[in-house]
Amino acid sequence: MRPLWQIPRDCLFWLLVSVFISISLHLEHLPPWVALSGIIATLWQIQLYRERWRQPGRLLKWSLAGACAGGLYLHYGRMSGLEPMVALLFTGYVLKLLEIHNRRDALVLIYLSYLIIILQSLFSSTIVSSLLVLAALLPVTAALVAMHGGAENTRPASALRTALAITLQAIPLMLVMFVVMPRIGSLWAVPQQQSATTGVSDSMSPGDMTKLGRSGKIAFRVEFDGPIPEQSQLYWRGLVFSGFDGRRWDQQGPWGYNDGQFLQWSNQSRETWDKAVIRRGEPLSYRVTLEATNSPWLFALSTPLAQSSSVALSRDFRLVNREPVISKLQYTVSSWLDNQLEPEKLPGWRRKLELAIPSGFNPKTVEVAKQWREQTPDTVALINRLLALYNQEFIYTLRPPALGKHTVDEFLWGTKKGFCEFYASSFVFFMRAAGVPARVVVGYQGGERHPTENYLLVHQYDAHAWAEVWIQGRGWLRVDPTAAVAPERIEMSFADLFGEQDDFLAESPFSLERMRHINWLNTLRLKLDSLDYAWAKWVLGYDNIQNDFLMGLLGRINSQRIALFLLLAGGIALLPVFIMLYLSREKNTRDQLDRLFLQYCLRLEKIGLPRQPGEGARNYAQRISLQAPSLAGQVESLTRLYESARYAQEQEAEIKRLKAALKAFKPSRKDLLKKN
Amino acid sequence: MIKRWRQVFHKRYQQWIFRRLPPVKKIRLDNRKLFISPTRSGFVFFGLLFLLWLIATNFENNLVFAFTFLLASLFIIGVFHTFLNLSGLQIEGGRVTPGFAGATSEFEYLLSQVGKRQRYSIELSHPGVDPVIVSLVANEIKAIYLSIPVKRRGWFQAQRITVKSVYPLGLLKVWTYLQFDAEALVYPKLIDAPLPAQLAAGQGDKTPPQNYRAHNSGSEDFVGLEKYRLGESLRHIAWKQFAREQGLQTKHYADAIDDEVWLDWEALPGMDTEARLSRLCAWALRFSEGPQPYGLRLPGLELSQSTGRAHRDAVLRELALFEQPNVAGKIAVKVVGEQV
Repeated sequence: MRPLWQIPRDCLFWLLVSVFISISLHLEHLPPWVALSGIIATLWQIQLYRERWRQPGRLLKWSLAGACAGGLYLHYGRMSGLEPMVALLFTGYVLKLLEIHNRRDALVLIYLSYLIIILQSLFSSTIVSSLLVLAALLPVTAALVAMHGGAENTRPASALRTALAITLQAIPLMLVMFVVMPRIGSLWAVPQQQSATTGVSDSMSPGDMTKLGRSGKIAFRVEFDGPIPEQSQLYWRGLVFSGFDGRRWDQQGPWGYNDGQFLQWSNQSRETWDKAVIRRGEPLSYRVTLEATNSPWLFALSTPLAQSSSVALSRDFRLVNREPVISKLQYTVSSWLDNQLEPEKLPGWRRKLELAIPSGFNPKTVEVAKQWREQTPDTVALINRLLALYNQEFIYTLRPPALGKHTVDEFLWGTKKGFCEFYASSFVFFMRAAGVPARVVVGYQGGERHPTENYLLVHQYDAHAWAEVWIQGRGWLRVDPTAAVAPERIEMSFADLFGEQDDFLAESPFSLERMRHINWLNTLRLKLDSLDYAWAKWVLGYDNIQNDFLMGLLGRINSQRIALFLLLAGGIALLPVFIMLYLSREKNTRDQLDRLFLQYCLRLEKIGLPRQPGEGARNYAQRISLQAPSLAGQVESLTRLYESARYAQEQEAEIKRLKAALKAFKPSRKDLLKKN
Repeated sequence: MIKRWRQVFHKRYQQWIFRRLPPVKKIRLDNRKLFISPTRSGFVFFGLLFLLWLIATNFENNLVFAFTFLLASLFIIGVFHTFLNLSGLQIEGGRVTPGFAGATSEFEYLLSQVGKRQRYSIELSHPGVDPVIVSLVANEIKAIYLSIPVKRRGWFQAQRITVKSVYPLGLLKVWTYLQFDAEALVYPKLIDAPLPAQLAAGQGDKTPPQNYRAHNSGSEDFVGLEKYRLGESLRHIAWKQFAREQGLQTKHYADAIDDEVWLDWEALPGMDTEARLSRLCAWALRFSEGPQPYGLRLPGLELSQSTGRAHRDAVLRELALFEQPNVAGKIAVKVVGEQV
């Protein structure tokens, strides 16, 4: 049977458009068959509306629902997590499309469309996708308008126009709310969206860094409070590797260390290991906007201290976030570039840890290292001797030859060609074999200065590995063997060095980075990036700067000021609506006309020709023509205008003419004496 | 107890409404006369906003915050738009068609839109009547008819009508209760009875009609078609004509009776007042269509024999107001229709 209530035609139109748009927005992370079933349901609903097809039976609907739930389980293997949840919501939404029986069903669909379209922001946060989401909300609002627009208002365009007007008027108010509304931290743990990301991983084998060298993606951006330091100062420490199994370097903490807490949060008292750090001079203050890494470690210059309560300082003087970084993260850091880490002493167990080399690997290196140590007992001299060796005989390349079991032996005494991780790994191994505590540090080196905005762009190809060596009295000392073989790598940006090589950006074939030598394209790339950065800073990471921003705006944050600001800004935001209200108010033409006539009478009264009670406009004019013939023409035409305004269809135009004529009407007592 | 409180509250509310919106003939809706509140779907929308806020907070996603705030702003902007849809609208109580007790009486309301704006989906309703929904274009005047059930004869004043609109978003409703200064004259309930001998004789061999209803519909003789007016019962629509694309028309019926007669109270012995009036009323209608004069005799009242529409209305009026305590009505303005 045909349902009694039928969805208005324009409402259905916009509803189907909304469904179609939500499908295309989520296409990327939905199983293809879910999207397909959405399209089928849309078509079915169209045929249903045209009375070509019949409502699917109850059995069919339930089996469809069951099949969808089963299919989702098979596809994801779990039901928790953001993607399966959105997919489940989506199937419910699509199935609901098949049974719009009453007003409530249509409303449910409209609200679900709002929800699903907005959820897209959890998956993608670029400017473009946000604008798409904003645009996608329009047809949903249009559906809502069409549903309440009444039967006479069935042209879809008119509903969309209304929706557009309301949305445009709502945007200023949204901005005010966005700026002022307080954000409280997350209330409970939520399934986080995990996606493949490029970046430094928690272990390092030969070739890992080389891969990163081929990616042009942004790793993070840094905005310094002062000028940007020298390129050669910019060693962004991310991870410290002390464990080595012959091929792979990895982390030892927190299990390798046992003096106090491994992580020191900013609100906790300082650990003894932190007190052993010597920090000199004024710290360098900067703000990092990190892209999603799916890992908790952050990047900072040595030796850092973070301002945020969700960021900790680790035992090996790195910064660690409380949660894995799944979306853009902003953090503010102070770094003391002039520092000494653990200068006094290294306890026995630490010495053992930082000297450990796996037995049975790289015998030649172990032997040579022992020889050299005997020949050069001074540690600094030993380091310089090894660096000199790199400088003379080694080649820095993005295309290193593959290595076998004895990676260090083969590299040092055989191939002699490699990328940064080859140098760092062989250097640390050699030092350890020679009895000098050493470790590998990975992170990023350098960055690209934005020519107009004062910030630094660090790309994935800036990923770097270097070494730290412990020397009695000086603590951990940074040694970059890459700098010995290719000093230009450290002094200029990586892209300038490798820009000409084929392998550079091999994994980003369409990146604008490849076009850096074309001037205007390069400018465009940097312009786009500054836009992207502003977006990240002011929108995506607004909660980080909300306090500072409001403080700057209001001077001090208290409830009165916030309330006052809300009132003021809200008033300004609502201004367009008030203007609309003012413009669309019904002008009372009758009143206006009466007022004009009164003016006319008053002017005549002033010169001694008052209107008699009960005297009509025409009679009055005739009397004046007799008493003051010089005014006759004017009075006559004014009266005619008044009468035509009174009875005209297009009153407003007539009133305008009367007003103009009245402006020129200035009778004086002299007129009384004139005899025309 | 709760029931009692509710009654007290309801009474207070009615009194407050009455003070705020006293009966009028014509009204221009403005912010003093309009009320605005979220609809049920508006409250569901709050739920959606809360859900989105939870998602935004838990995922610490500022974009979701932004879009949540956008939806909240839509709601706030919607307040103005919803309000504007009724604000400035002029409503005038129009003609009132008398009805028979137990049937309906038709109240006319004139909605006028002065100025360029359009108004959409304005709903007029009265308890016991299907709501009528209209839209108005610029500078349009539209007449709305509500067929309001009337129970007892005498003067009937319609309850407050509700004028409501949820346009554009359906999240908010703006409404007002309006009491118009118009009363319907309600004739006695129609009960058909065999004519007394002296009347039946004059009627010849015509078969008396079975019964009477409002709109003269029960009668056999089809008189003609009239243009459909908004609010008229759908039962009388001439669907055939509509199918021939002649527009919406309603069928009207009447009967014809001749000879000269007296409609006499005394001719119906042994009945109570209402029963007698009902029968007299039915007879009056029957004779009113004929050419012969007829008169009315009630205790203490006599209308001499005559014919015509005016005479019929006078007869029906006397029947309606017979022994009514508040004959003149409380309200000064009375509009009596010219046609039953």
